[in-house]
Amino acid sequence: MNGVIAFIPLLPLTAAVLIAFGNFSGWLTGVETERFSVKLTMSSIGLVCLLALATLLNALHNHSLDTPPVWHWLELPDFKISLQLFNSPLPSALTCLFALLLFIVMQFSINYMHREPGFHRFFAILNLFAAAMLLLVLSSNMVGTFIGWELAGLSSYLLIGYFQQRPMAVTNATRVFLTNRIGDAGFIFGLGLSYSWLGSLEWQILQENIGHLTSAQRNALAFSFTIAACAKSAQWPFTHWLARAMEGPTPSSSIFYGGIMVHAGVYLLWLLQPLFEQAPLMMLIIAAIGLITAVYSFLVGLTQTDIKSSLVYATSAQVGLMFLECGLGFWQLALWHLAAHAVVRSYLLLTAPSLMHKVHGSPIKPVSPKLAQLQWAYVASLQRGWLEALIDWAIIKPVRGLAHDLNNFDEHILDRLIGAPLPAIRRISSLAQFREQKLGARLDNDADEFAQGSGLAGKLTQWCATLFQWFEARFVLRNHRKSPITIGRQLGHTAHKFERLILRPRNLVLFVFILLLSSF
Amino acid sequence: MGILSLLLWTPAVGVLVLVFLSNQHTVLIRWISQILTGYTFVLSCVIVAHYNQHDANLQFTEYYPLNPVLGSAYALGVDGLSLPLLVLATLLSSIAVLASFSINSSIKGYHICLLLLEFGMLGVFLAQDWALFYIFWEVTLIPLFFLIDRWGGARRHAASLNFVLYTMGGSIFMLLSLLAISQYDLQQSGSLMTSMHQAAQGMPRMEQVLVLLGFIIGFGVKMPIFPLHGWLPLAHVEAPSPISILLSGILLKMGAYGLLRAVVMLPEATLLLQPMLTFLALFGMLYGGLLAWRQSDLKAMIAYSSVSHMGIVLLGIASLNEMGITGAVLQMTAHGLIAGALFLLVGLLYERTHTRNIQDYSSLVQVMPRFAVFMTLTLLAAMGLPGSIGFVAELHTLSGGFQQWGGLMVFFSLSILICASYALRTMGLLFTGPVKPQMQQIADLNNFELIAAAILVVAIVGFGLIPAPLIDLSATSITQLNDVIQKRM
Repeated sequence: MNGVIAFIPLLPLTAAVLIAFGNFSGWLTGVETERFSVKLTMSSIGLVCLLALATLLNALHNHSLDTPPVWHWLELPDFKISLQLFNSPLPSALTCLFALLLFIVMQFSINYMHREPGFHRFFAILNLFAAAMLLLVLSSNMVGTFIGWELAGLSSYLLIGYFQQRPMAVTNATRVFLTNRIGDAGFIFGLGLSYSWLGSLEWQILQENIGHLTSAQRNALAFSFTIAACAKSAQWPFTHWLARAMEGPTPSSSIFYGGIMVHAGVYLLWLLQPLFEQAPLMMLIIAAIGLITAVYSFLVGLTQTDIKSSLVYATSAQVGLMFLECGLGFWQLALWHLAAHAVVRSYLLLTAPSLMHKVHGSPIKPVSPKLAQLQWAYVASLQRGWLEALIDWAIIKPVRGLAHDLNNFDEHILDRLIGAPLPAIRRISSLAQFREQKLGARLDNDADEFAQGSGLAGKLTQWCATLFQWFEARFVLRNHRKSPITIGRQLGHTAHKFERLILRPRNLVLFVFILLLSSF
Repeated sequence: MGILSLLLWTPAVGVLVLVFLSNQHTVLIRWISQILTGYTFVLSCVIVAHYNQHDANLQFTEYYPLNPVLGSAYALGVDGLSLPLLVLATLLSSIAVLASFSINSSIKGYHICLLLLEFGMLGVFLAQDWALFYIFWEVTLIPLFFLIDRWGGARRHAASLNFVLYTMGGSIFMLLSLLAISQYDLQQSGSLMTSMHQAAQGMPRMEQVLVLLGFIIGFGVKMPIFPLHGWLPLAHVEAPSPISILLSGILLKMGAYGLLRAVVMLPEATLLLQPMLTFLALFGMLYGGLLAWRQSDLKAMIAYSSVSHMGIVLLGIASLNEMGITGAVLQMTAHGLIAGALFLLVGLLYERTHTRNIQDYSSLVQVMPRFAVFMTLTLLAAMGLPGSIGFVAELHTLSGGFQQWGGLMVFFSLSILICASYALRTMGLLFTGPVKPQMQQIADLNNFELIAAAILVVAIVGFGLIPAPLIDLSATSITQLNDVIQKRM
């Protein structure tokens, strides 16, 4: 039974890989082959449901479980990362619930997505998401949870951008993905802190060894994971991404943002329950975040005019309540809330497109008059609390400015230093010039272009080469022009002159005199 | 008469035969010359086949005393140091003869000089006696003087005169050094090389340094070491292409070979002069590289790159460790093959276009694909690309130098970088670019030329991929040399 649990995330992953490969290689496209994808997906998720049920039963009846097999992912002498799956009741129960929800949503998608151009792509990604979420819930190890966490984020990105031809979908997908990445940064930071302080990446060990940490360390660790949880569960100030995520197809919205993924943050908090209980400050903070999110979502939700948006704000309000419950210490309640909310919200989102037909004729209940009088609240609600504008101003604008400055630095200083060629458009001002250059009529002189370096290193080389050339010509090669023969001839001439000078009669007489004088 | 004498005298016999032939029999003269050089190559291959790699002593030795009073003898022998160079010399000689088909004036004289030159070169590498060595060293000068002066380019007179004067000037210092050693009591056993080796050990330290300086000047002119290279650019540029092959392929190696022998004889002095040698090597590498980068004349570029590449040999010798010396010996072979191939190819190109200015060329790959392949491979080998013999040699020298000097080797890397810049630029200018009409009517390599170039390029790439046989050939001798050096330091 222990090894079988590994199949729960592996089966959807295999299905995802098979469908993706088939679609990529071209034999799994079009309407005819839809049945193959469907069969593969449904049999794998069906099997997963059975397996999850079996695991749950096993876990409920048999509390002292053996640990499932460990897969060592990375092994260095003093650094070891292994992957392992949980075998305890609560993760198994959640796995069971999620697997059932996935099964239902996949079944729903078959007809909903029928004849859509990206049918196979949709199912491949949905399978990938299933594998990711199941791994996230089942992993007893932070690395495994993080892999699931990231893959879920990735599949969410891919499905929000499912309609690739819509610019809005692509923009929103990127925005959502980047917002999620902030949370991922917190998660990674938490991983690092946990490894360096506790020497382990097991949730179990983290839960057991909290007592060894100082309170500052506990707060820091809890804070990193809180960021991750808030980003994933769309808590304040990350709430706005949830509205943008509705761009994807309805079944995916239902399963991602109604049923499963949005609750990952709450699950993460539950995993860290012992840590939070010993870090009261962070308990207070998550309670506050939950409360703020709930109020904020309630207020913003009041003015939403389309069904999906109002459902979204209802979701974030509910998840905010779960955070509040966690922060107040009602962990059990939060979990029940999670399970119930997952089921209800999935249903609501799945039925959202047909909801209009069903409520036709029965008007929406108006807002209470007291609340309706508050004009500033109405504006704030319409503007969704200016949250996005605030984040744009606080984060995106400075980053963009910095990028702009760095780009300028690159273009005007670094590129010149290393002599990177300028973009052709700047170098050549007209097509005629370009053609001339292509034909070989260089605009600048050929002789000047040879032995020319560009950039700092190039210029340095050029100057050194010129200096050495001068040296060579001046000192080493000089005698080539003034060959040794001429030098020899000149020497000969000088010697000849000297000899003639000495042999003149008057000089000869002079020498004789000198000799005579010196001898006496 | 041993196989070495047979090898040595074959070209000399060829000279005698050619002397009695009439100048009219051009085809016969060419064939005789070709066959004899080919025969020497085969003989050298036979020697390699019978050579025992595990024996560090001299092999195939021959010994006949010539002058018992002075102790000089007709002593021949090969070891791991001289054997690769011997094969290189015979190989490049036969390729030079193959490339000489374009020489049209006074063919008889040309081939006599060529064979005489080979005779001298083989003698230098085979001689195991300093007196004999010196004689052969001087023998190479005379045919080379005529070859450059008679069949060279426009400035050939200045070039040949410069070459001879420089080399003679150097040999004077070498002779002085040899005489200085022979003043000491020479044991009368063995050749002049072994006895001098022993005599050098007993010399005062100062005298050793002076003697080594004499050797450095003498061999440094030929090698060439940085300030003594004045003859080289002109001689290489003005010499006819086949002679350029021999000049840079083998004659430069004679200097390096002699210097290596001298260093083994005087290790203590070498240790004292090590900083100077290192500086000269590194500076020469940068200097030659930068000047090569600046030349728009193809032959001048290769000539200066020879200065740069022979700096690597000097660096390997100066490192005074086994790795460095192995690198130096490998680099001698590598540069012999690479420079030989480059001069061969450039010479063939020059015959077709009569311009050496690189800027006149363009887009040759369209008309000369065979040429482009060989030239590109050789240039890549010149810049030490892995997979070529140049890389193997440079890597050995670099790691030997790194053991000795560490971070100073950054200048070595810099010179390789410069080399890469001009090699790549040359490729770009020769083979790519706009189509020029005057460069569209050039014939590709014919079969003879193809064979000549292919032999060299196959050797360059082959030894680059499988360098072990080449390294093993010299390994034992180098280990022994290194032991001698380390023992006396």
